Amino acid sequence: MNPFRVALAVARKDLRSEWRTREMVPALAQFVVLALLIGNFGFQIDSRNALTIAPGILWMALVFAGLVAFGRTFAAEREQASLDAMLMTPASPVAIFAGKALAASVLLVACEAVLLPALTLFFGTPLSGEVVAAVLLATVGMAALGVMFAAIVARVRARELLLPLLTLPLWIPFIVAGGQAVQSAMGLPGSYQEAIGLLIDFDILFVVLTSLAARFVLDE
Amino acid sequence: MSILVGNALTQWFGRELALEGVDLVIDTGEHIAVLGDNGAGKTTLLRILATALRPTSGQLQIAGLDAFRERRRLRHYLGYVAHSPGLYPALSAAENLEFFCDLQEVSRTRAEEALELVGLTSVARRRADQLSRGMQQRLAIARAILHEPRLLILDEPDASLGDDAAELLTQVMSGKTVVLATHDHALANRLCPRTLVLRHGRSLGTATRLHVVK
Repeated sequence: MNPFRVALAVARKDLRSEWRTREMVPALAQFVVLALLIGNFGFQIDSRNALTIAPGILWMALVFAGLVAFGRTFAAEREQASLDAMLMTPASPVAIFAGKALAASVLLVACEAVLLPALTLFFGTPLSGEVVAAVLLATVGMAALGVMFAAIVARVRARELLLPLLTLPLWIPFIVAGGQAVQSAMGLPGSYQEAIGLLIDFDILFVVLTSLAARFVLDE
Repeated sequence: MSILVGNALTQWFGRELALEGVDLVIDTGEHIAVLGDNGAGKTTLLRILATALRPTSGQLQIAGLDAFRERRRLRHYLGYVAHSPGLYPALSAAENLEFFCDLQEVSRTRAEEALELVGLTSVARRRADQLSRGMQQRLAIARAILHEPRLLILDEPDASLGDDAAELLTQVMSGKTVVLATHDHALANRLCPRTLVLRHGRSLGTATRLHVVK
């Protein structure tokens, strides 16, 4: 069985469901805009401090939007009692996991498409290809970890509490490296290349680890 | 020849014993009904037989393979209709089945055939959440037979099916080995020559339809 075909089928199914119900993306987009708005007023932003504060607000909004986006990936399947049916097929659990992660990443990227221009609008920060690249690279690893823990906590009642507790500590490397990359892309001191290299290393590490673990998490 | 051999199947959920030492042998092509009151352990037993749940203890062989070590290899043999339909509400009936065709690696034309078999061709493009409960149940049955499994595990498939439940199930069960859980003794009698009765997680043994009626 071709795992790429399975992953694409799972991702297509999730994205089609989201397109029809529009449950997640509009709510997440509103959330990130509100987060930026609160940050803008809360920190008394002006032209002197915007560049130092904006990256922090960006990552805060992204982290909380990610928790919601990734948390729903398996919770919805559990609520609909459809996960068992999917796991009863001969499809590889790793391919199913990859498909779910792909769909959740696309949803988060859709939010980032609102978040990044809004950041420029509210904080006056430059929106460059380098900033976009850093955010997209962080999304890959964060999606792998977020969807993995979403699959684990989907089985328990207090999943909304457990997901941040498990996920946030492991997202710290992405926030640190991503924050550094965005800051240097915005003209603050720091090596952009070094931070991007770190993000790529973390992506590879966590994508491999979560793929190895997916079989045990989903199959048992 | 036996297609399924279960030996001392036991399931604990925390401190609660859901199933206690159930033995079961099912021959190829046989249809067996599982009867019992609510909480008797029917769904637990069927989930174990469908390899959706690993028992706390006991062995299960399906088609000569260890059902839990070789679980993935057995997926092609097994079709399972769970207690709840487990459909994707925003997808149409046809899209639900086409998705599972992709996962089962069977041609998408099987989706049309399965819809026709369960009488849902006219609502193929309707979203699953706009179907009646009976239609959703038919769709779940269609999904379970997409890949033409040899062993079909049906957990109360007659729920909400309506008057023609027996007729539909007869068609679906034809040529397959079937384990069917139901509350409906008359339906069990009509569809299954042999019956297993569960009470408080224990097997009271299997019997022919005559004994169960008595």
